[in-house]
Amino acid sequence: MPIMHEFAYAKPSRLAEAVSLLSGQDQTAILAGGTDLIDLLKENILVPALLVDLKGIGELGEISFTGNALRIGANVTFTELLESDIVRRNFPVIGELAETIASVGIRNRATLAGNICSAVPSMDGGPLLSAFDASVSAVGPGGTRDIPAASFFLAPRRTSLRPGEIVTAVTLPLPPVPYAGCWVKLGRYAGEDLAQVNLLVLALNDGSFRISFGAVAPVPLRALRIESLLRGRTITPDLLEQGRQMVEQEIAPISDIRASKEYRMHMAKIMLTRGIEAAAARLRGSGPAYGTSVI
Amino acid sequence: MKTNTYIGMPAVRIDGKAKVTGAAEFIDDLDFGPDLLYAAIVESPHAHAAINGIDTRGAAQVPGVVRVVTGKDFPFRFGLYMHDRYIFAQDRVRFVGEQVAAVIARDPAAARRAALLVKVDYTELPSILAVDSALAKDAYLIHPELRNYKHVPWFFPAGGTNIAHIRKVRKGDVAKAFRDADAVFEDTYTVPRYAHCAIEVHGAVGLYDNSDRLTVWTASQSPYTQRHLFAEALAPLGLSHKDIRVITPFIGGGFGGKAGVSMEIMGAALATAVKGRPVKVLWSREQEFYNTYQRQGLTARLRVGLKKDGTIVAMDNTLNWDAGAYVEYGANVVNAAGLSASGPYNIPHVSIDSVCIYTNLPPGGPYRGFGYSEFLFGLESHLNEIAKKMHIDPVELRRKNAIREGDILNYGGKMNANGLLEAIDKTAEAIGWGDRKQPADPRKASGKGFALFWKAPAMPPNASSSAVLKFNEDASINILVSGMEIGQGLLTVLAQIAAEVLTVPPEKIRVETPDTDRNPYEWQTVGSHVTWGCGRAVENAAIDAREQIFDLVERALGLPRTSLYLERETVRSRTDASFSLALRDFIIAGIAQRDGSYRGGPVIGRGMFMPEFTSALSDPETSQGGHPNVHYTVGASAVEIEVDRETGKITIPKAVLAVDVGRAINPDLVNGQITGGLVQGIATVLYEDMRFDGKGKLLNPNFTDYKIPTALDIPGEIVPIIIEVPQKDGPFGARGVGEHTMIPAAPMIANAVEDALGIRIRSMPITAEKIILTMEKP
Amino acid sequence: MKQEIRFRLNGEEVALELRPNEILLEVLRDRLGVRSPKCGCDRGDCGTCTVMIDGRTVRSCLVLAVEVNGRSVTTLEGLMHDGLTPLQKALIERNAYQCGFCAPGMILSASELLAKNPHPDEDEIRKALAGNLCRCTGYSPVIEAVALAGKETGSGGRAS
Repeated sequence: MPIMHEFAYAKPSRLAEAVSLLSGQDQTAILAGGTDLIDLLKENILVPALLVDLKGIGELGEISFTGNALRIGANVTFTELLESDIVRRNFPVIGELAETIASVGIRNRATLAGNICSAVPSMDGGPLLSAFDASVSAVGPGGTRDIPAASFFLAPRRTSLRPGEIVTAVTLPLPPVPYAGCWVKLGRYAGEDLAQVNLLVLALNDGSFRISFGAVAPVPLRALRIESLLRGRTITPDLLEQGRQMVEQEIAPISDIRASKEYRMHMAKIMLTRGIEAAAARLRGSGPAYGTSVI
Repeated sequence: MKTNTYIGMPAVRIDGKAKVTGAAEFIDDLDFGPDLLYAAIVESPHAHAAINGIDTRGAAQVPGVVRVVTGKDFPFRFGLYMHDRYIFAQDRVRFVGEQVAAVIARDPAAARRAALLVKVDYTELPSILAVDSALAKDAYLIHPELRNYKHVPWFFPAGGTNIAHIRKVRKGDVAKAFRDADAVFEDTYTVPRYAHCAIEVHGAVGLYDNSDRLTVWTASQSPYTQRHLFAEALAPLGLSHKDIRVITPFIGGGFGGKAGVSMEIMGAALATAVKGRPVKVLWSREQEFYNTYQRQGLTARLRVGLKKDGTIVAMDNTLNWDAGAYVEYGANVVNAAGLSASGPYNIPHVSIDSVCIYTNLPPGGPYRGFGYSEFLFGLESHLNEIAKKMHIDPVELRRKNAIREGDILNYGGKMNANGLLEAIDKTAEAIGWGDRKQPADPRKASGKGFALFWKAPAMPPNASSSAVLKFNEDASINILVSGMEIGQGLLTVLAQIAAEVLTVPPEKIRVETPDTDRNPYEWQTVGSHVTWGCGRAVENAAIDAREQIFDLVERALGLPRTSLYLERETVRSRTDASFSLALRDFIIAGIAQRDGSYRGGPVIGRGMFMPEFTSALSDPETSQGGHPNVHYTVGASAVEIEVDRETGKITIPKAVLAVDVGRAINPDLVNGQITGGLVQGIATVLYEDMRFDGKGKLLNPNFTDYKIPTALDIPGEIVPIIIEVPQKDGPFGARGVGEHTMIPAAPMIANAVEDALGIRIRSMPITAEKIILTMEKP
Repeated sequence: MKQEIRFRLNGEEVALELRPNEILLEVLRDRLGVRSPKCGCDRGDCGTCTVMIDGRTVRSCLVLAVEVNGRSVTTLEGLMHDGLTPLQKALIERNAYQCGFCAPGMILSASELLAKNPHPDEDEIRKALAGNLCRCTGYSPVIEAVALAGKETGSGGRAS
């Protein structure tokens, strides 16, 4: 299907150039992986006058690890995350997550930055940012700033990015103590699907847990009540049952074409239990290998 | 038994290389030059509305637009079995997405832009989105003109209602049989609509040239049927069959969706509006979902009466079909299913009402299985429930009642020779029926399900096939047929049949896709009938060529023709072992005589096949008296599943399907049908269904939300079992197998779910979500 | 608004003037006559439009043609430098495809896998092919053929 409207295309090689192109006019769109954007252009949902392709900006393609934080540039694709030794060693759960995103041909282009900028409730990047207390670096006409994950997502398809701002990187602080994670994604089958519920559980060596749900509320959310219930306690069936019962207070799923709210609620509880068990087991050095779905 | 050289061999596909190199051309791969025009279609946003007027002025002014066409340009009614539709909507639209107008432009983007500017003034009418409301006493009539529609003699429309056709079967004395039965079980099962999801969308390119000849390239299973319908629909324009040419390159999957004529009529009609230039209509994936044939929805109410020992004595089956806005093809699905809805069982007293009901949803039509998948879901589920309540093993219940050769069919004919019992036994053995496994994961339950199936080709009584077989100088062969290669491997099977008769290896035989100017007649590639019907035509053509060869050798060399035979591309004699004449030495050039003259000339074989024993004429109240079906293909299928009790997710470690193909001309291709068909069938019960909103709009017209299986969603193991009880009138005993591999999938899964969890789900699909919500129901 | 791009297409340098809104799939098919990538869904779900950019498979329906400026694009046509690849031979031998419409895209996906991982196991093959929908085969013959190509040669497909 051809794109019906015309637009100009620019591929700057420097970030400053991109910022000035984007601040120069109203109707602009940013192209990185394009896996969402091109479809929106075809469907006539987006009709920019100028498309700014970020892929010429080398610095946005880097993955770096400082020892206490992982910085993922805006052009980094999910495949690059999957293939990165740094990521595999320090953040194995990112690989587990990335492998559930669409298919190879999409992962070779799609970026984490693009995923979170879409801000659709089913995005898989949301729980990742939320659980790791990540921050989003942006640059715009007003300079650079870091936006905490908790305030980045405002509503479905809405972020706190200002007009003309570009996401340059996502930074994930390494948890302060040894940890393990478990990514749980509910799809309608084993093949590619958008999440009906997704969940990231991190089990930390200090007895705390971080639990973040996606697709069950307008924005990704941390299950703080459950986190505090679990903190410092031994995981027992009773405790997990208490956690399950708190799920209804934490999330507010809706019914849509992909799942009913009842099934989402039911599965959120199952996923929570299995996610906690698997993360805790992995922390102990047992449990299913990363990449093995627990549902 | 005579041994065969090429029949029964797992020959490599003769189109294999074309398909793995990208050399195989599909409709959108053909080149039509720089003057190709593109059409964009203006569609109805309403499920049911009157059209008051169409303003095309804005669209016509868009640069690049060549012509804007509306229903007024083609006020002709047409259809395959019933003339109930138009090329473009006339005064009324009857489903969301129905074509109302077309913009033809020099490039697709201009056509799309201009189509948005066509203004249609509608008045909404009450829309009917379910069969119950269509059948209500004061229901709004979707086709007020129904009683005037032309249709085949075996349809019985009820004018003044929304019922387009009822197929009634009355065999024996059903009322008395129920009274005398020891036990009677009744239930209702529902099946939603489904989409074929061939990976290639529909497309058509039409060219009406300045000599008044119309060529249409289509992605189709039915080039000749298309030609005939184009001729009929456009008859007012004065087109004769000889002036219409349909060319069908390879198609990227059909599954029934590319049978008959759906959107292709627009390619033909629009060509006449822009004479001298080719015009392309190519569906988007969305249009593919909502404006081609869909598999019809079904509500089946079933009553079964049995003796204490499990003998089925009576069945009363009411099938209400949601057939959609136009039923010109779909009504025949209803008809075929109605004739056979008692399944592969010997039941003396049967009553069936199969009712074709108009609704304001997209037109229903053929889909691999042609109604049998739908009724088998209810029937085979119900039999398991009965077995459970009567404490009979479900396989034993089936075995006890399985139809056998000579048993009386619903329309009074006799059942053909078949291997149903062998299929049951082999399937039960392969799945380990009776062994229960506890999965390693305690959260999971395992279950097994079993189902039988049968299906006859649904064909008009005079459906026929023909073939022309041409030898080349080197004794290689080109075969011309109009049976379609839709992926099943027809070209290869036809080559194997000709190879067997003529002793020329299949790799020396080329069979091409059809062009109605060059290739002889074939009715359609549907109903699992082409290996049988077109195969017979090719066998006959090969025999014809062989006889010509023997005649020639007798005439030219004086050897008695009765002593001649073929071996490795050579004519040999049973009486003269030293005689050997290679085909390549005379097959075109002829046989030299002593005087330097030649006898012979190019050998061209001709073959034809029509099942002359069939008839669709029968008593409309009982269906007794005719012989509508040529034969049934039967089989059994079973599955082992594991269900996660907490998530409802199902995995399938193993599935088995045994089918009596008569004779497997190419067992590898039969196995391909079994594997592919089972996966397609399993998907209809686990993942797929079409969802409509309250206004009749399809909510999931894409693969994002209509989930067809990926390589990660297939059974761990599929065990194909080929049974061979020959079909006397089939080529080398073969009968069709294309559809049968899909149709038992849904009930066998439903039965396995019941076995694993003790819950009976009576509506498809059986998703993880539905399992959980059913289990949680108080 | 037209601009010129240059890229390598199956090893050959191509220069093309185009509008930025042109889709790579449509440029390959309609302007360059490379017809093995097909349009099956037009939104990245089905994988029939799969091509490689710099050796990585992408959905060419979701790529603007201007994006490949300076890069290397490979389609099925470009894999066959010296006749059929071992993977193609295995697919023919195994009667792996039926209608064949999904084959070009799926062969590229399998080739990308084999280039990275010459001896994939069944699970790895399934994952690599999961983005290429096929409605005919039920996948198993294709999976078997890819495994066969891996076993026999160590490198079934080649990406340039």
